[in-house]
Amino acid sequence: MIARSLAGIHPRPRGRETSLLLLAAVALLTGWLSLATTQAGRLSAGDPGLLVIYLAAAGVIHVLFVITGRRTDQVLFPAVVLLGGISLLFMARLPPSLVTQDAGPAGVLTLAPLQLVWLLLSLSIIAGLAIVVRNDTWLRNYKYSWAAAGVTLLLLVFLFGDEVNGVRLMLRVGPIVGQPSELLKVILVVFLAGYLAENRALLAGTSLRVGPLDLPPLAYLLPMLAMWGIALAVVVVQRDLGAALLFFAVFLGLLYVATQRTSFVALGLLLAAVGSVFLYAVEPTVQVRVAIWLDPFAQALGSGFQIVRGLYAFGRGGLVGTGLGAGLPSPDGTLAVPALHTDYVFAGLAEELGAAGAIALIGLYLVIAERGLRIAARGADDFRALLAAGLTLVLVLQAALIMAGDLKLVPLTGVTLPFVAYGGSSLLGSGICVGLLMALSDAGVEAPAPPQALTRGERWRARGRGVAGRVERAVR
Amino acid sequence: MSAFEILVWILRLGFLGLLYLFLAVLARGLLRDLRGATARTTRAAGVLVVMAAPAGAPPVGATMALETITTIGRDADNVVVLDDAFASTHHARLTFRGRVWYLEDLGSTNGTRLNGRPVEGVVAVGFGDEIAVGETRFRLEPASA
Amino acid sequence: MNRGAAPLVQRGLARLAVAVVLCYAAVALGLGYWQGLQAQALTNDPGNPLVAALRDGPRGRILDARGTVLAQDATVGGVRVRRYPLLAAEPVVGYWSPTLGSAGLEHTYDADLSGLAGTSPVDELLRKFGASSATPLDVVTSLDMRLQADAVKLLGKQKGAIVALDPTTGRVLALASTPSFDPDQVVAPGTGPAYMASLSAPGNASPLLDRATQGLYTPGSVFKMVTAVAGIGSGAITGATTYRDQPGEERSGFVVDGFKVVDGHHDFTGTTALDFVQATEVSCNIYFAHVGLATGAAALRGWARRLGFEAPIPFDLPTATSQVTSGGGPLDGFVDDVELANAAYGQGTTAVTPLQMALVAATIANGGTLMRPTLLDALRSPGGTVVQQTTPRVWQEVLSSAQDAVLREAMTGAVESAWGRPFAGSAAIPGVQTAGKTGTAQLGGSGEPHAWFIGFAPAAAPRIAVAVIIEQGGHGGEVAAPLGGQLMGDWLRLAP
Repeated sequence: MIARSLAGIHPRPRGRETSLLLLAAVALLTGWLSLATTQAGRLSAGDPGLLVIYLAAAGVIHVLFVITGRRTDQVLFPAVVLLGGISLLFMARLPPSLVTQDAGPAGVLTLAPLQLVWLLLSLSIIAGLAIVVRNDTWLRNYKYSWAAAGVTLLLLVFLFGDEVNGVRLMLRVGPIVGQPSELLKVILVVFLAGYLAENRALLAGTSLRVGPLDLPPLAYLLPMLAMWGIALAVVVVQRDLGAALLFFAVFLGLLYVATQRTSFVALGLLLAAVGSVFLYAVEPTVQVRVAIWLDPFAQALGSGFQIVRGLYAFGRGGLVGTGLGAGLPSPDGTLAVPALHTDYVFAGLAEELGAAGAIALIGLYLVIAERGLRIAARGADDFRALLAAGLTLVLVLQAALIMAGDLKLVPLTGVTLPFVAYGGSSLLGSGICVGLLMALSDAGVEAPAPPQALTRGERWRARGRGVAGRVERAVR
Repeated sequence: MSAFEILVWILRLGFLGLLYLFLAVLARGLLRDLRGATARTTRAAGVLVVMAAPAGAPPVGATMALETITTIGRDADNVVVLDDAFASTHHARLTFRGRVWYLEDLGSTNGTRLNGRPVEGVVAVGFGDEIAVGETRFRLEPASA
Repeated sequence: MNRGAAPLVQRGLARLAVAVVLCYAAVALGLGYWQGLQAQALTNDPGNPLVAALRDGPRGRILDARGTVLAQDATVGGVRVRRYPLLAAEPVVGYWSPTLGSAGLEHTYDADLSGLAGTSPVDELLRKFGASSATPLDVVTSLDMRLQADAVKLLGKQKGAIVALDPTTGRVLALASTPSFDPDQVVAPGTGPAYMASLSAPGNASPLLDRATQGLYTPGSVFKMVTAVAGIGSGAITGATTYRDQPGEERSGFVVDGFKVVDGHHDFTGTTALDFVQATEVSCNIYFAHVGLATGAAALRGWARRLGFEAPIPFDLPTATSQVTSGGGPLDGFVDDVELANAAYGQGTTAVTPLQMALVAATIANGGTLMRPTLLDALRSPGGTVVQQTTPRVWQEVLSSAQDAVLREAMTGAVESAWGRPFAGSAAIPGVQTAGKTGTAQLGGSGEPHAWFIGFAPAAAPRIAVAVIIEQGGHGGEVAAPLGGQLMGDWLRLAP
């Protein structure tokens, strides 16, 4: 088995990836030089150990890609490496004591080394998925199991989650603390892709007319309502407005791609509006969020403090920025903007790199969007197309949501900027998305037979396998 | 402005410049891809060559460019329209997904045959395979470059 | 199942891509807004921690128009503190303390005084290339401390405010509010907080409040000039308009919807149906109630808005919003015609700032053109180079000079004519034709009314316009008008 798969490996050069990675490395080294020089007050490379380790790891993964010779996308990885590198530069610039973790024998890790560890894990996940995953049946055939796993995760958070800043997001398993909603996003996309791919012809073709409304048939309306309910539950239970908004937006995006019926999306938006009004009435936190979004300066020293400070940071940056390391100092350890390494990392980067740098950052996310949607368009079948589109949406909508939140274009929500914000769960979740996208992009792999080609016997055998099979049967 | 300030600003702007260089390289690739994509879509992914036709329409030897989803039957709304009494109005469909052609029978009265065997469900078709609809026979061939 | 019914995924993906691009375009526009258009305003905002980071640096001076120092740095025992040589400049100049924050002009021009504000976007950009060289700028105000001190002296121990400005340019010459406070004590390290606490203690007469720009008062009869602007401007009345029933109503009362407007303080006009100028001279409530009703609620508010009502006045200091009515009623905000009639002669729920009433006087003085009021004359570098200069700007063209002429005639008559002299004659400047209007704002209850005066001089070619209010001072003609006349006369002597 192993011998056979090894025999199938033919190294294949990846010229485009090589040159892009080299360019990214040169850019990041220049950035590091700029940061160290600013901090030292003379030409200096500082201690580039972190960045060198990071770039070396990226290089090793690139070589692995070449050796294993899969025809995966060659742009996604360098784009992610560049984003992660910018993150590393910024974390190295912030006060190291912002986050510390006792790593046993390795001593106490501070902000930048910790982020490096998470970045390396994230890149490894990308590499692992991109190299190993050749088959999507494990995702395709167990969509209800995945959905069940997702709901279980949500329940676990509800029952055992830790509250941080009034937001119940953290799940602690032994020494490991994570935000399950990062994983939930991927699971959700897998389920939606499976569900919509199977039913999209029916969803698109039939309808239930209620007055002027062109509704999907009732049996298909229910999952939509369920999604809506889950999103609401996420807000009420976890008080995580961002995740809820993201879930629903991804759902509507995929629903549109699958059915291309604007009436469904309009219905979804209507539901979202109803939900928003409901939440506004019920949840005081939501009311505060909206109030400080509309006029943060009214509460400049209270609840609007963070937003106002964020806007100041954008203003200080101007068009070309202050330069890396030359942003507003924080001599006493309190940041100029609270949560500068997580929610407000975009504001921090916009201060030091200016509008020019921030727009470059936007450009990098657009690159991910373009690659992801292209992979989706080339997908061998509906499931793979929808899966790729969903994974892409998770990444790029999340980025847009937090960037727009920082800029006071939408109410601020606590989603992270993929690959840039500090945080292990987010980096791992985003890594899974990119890894799967790369695996899906492999044009050299035989397209799977369309679902109908499964013989009845095969299907029964698949269903019979283990717990997952039972779940699948139970749901149907 | 001191030499140090000039140096710092060269580095700062250099970093920004390199970020944009990265994006520019990608943008060039994107444009190339787009042009390639349009070129690809204008070329058919395959053609059907008529091997035998009972009524002479379409004539033997004719090649018909295929669309991504190509329906075959007697009705005029098919991509490939047959004048064949043994073909159903909507007889069969060829679909191009992931660089592979798939053939399926659309519940026709007399069935569709691939290399002489009746088609059940969806089957992959290779170039050179023979497809029989009613009394009309085709061969799938790659579009000549 | 007919799978053919589903549309191609690719088409949906293309539209999705467009949506994603639009999202990011919105983010990019947001960046352009905050980092391009708003960047300088944000950077100079007093709340910006960058401004606070420059707290330890030197600050520029605040000067009056003739170069008198109103605020400057001084070193006491090796520590840099702010010094305010002239108490009369408060609360306009305000204070600046590293611990208690800032107020007044010290707050408004904090960024310029600390040297943070760039003089242009190009400078801003160049500064980023340099090592953050902050150049503190001097703030030159339009105040004339001679007049300002005069105004404060005239107010004396009374609670009130005086606003004086040049009607042709909008430059504010004096802006007094009493009682005031001692900024040196506010910024004194150590004792500052206790002093601040004593200032805001209940029972104290709010010395931190700048009554001139933020005090809201019932205007009484000075508001009749607003009603007059609306009536003349909208064409509802002319200078010749009379109301046949008015003389009779002087005795019986003018009944509006069952409510009786009474007057009775100018018996000597007898059975004469007053025209506009005469009605202004004797401050006839019944006449102006008629004018208000003839003008109508919407037009009255509309013309008041042109004069600066119903929105904060754009100014160098924070301003309260003057209102014709507290609003909410069905009649363009008025509850009914009774409120409209009352508002027309300055009672009702009308509330105004002294600055607003000074602008009304200045508009009439300046031929119907309202200039934008300003306190800043220039920003100067320490070397004396003028970095930014204020040029007079027209704010609103309220009336044509032809329409305005009758208003000036009326206000001149109110001070100088035989009929007017008993009411506002105390404002007359010897040897100069003076224009004015008094007000006595009834507050209800047993309290003394607010005494008001607005006016300008010389009537033919005004060089100064004033508004005076003495809180619960009594009759405008007895209490406020003499102060206004005195101040204007002093100015004409000071700046011949």
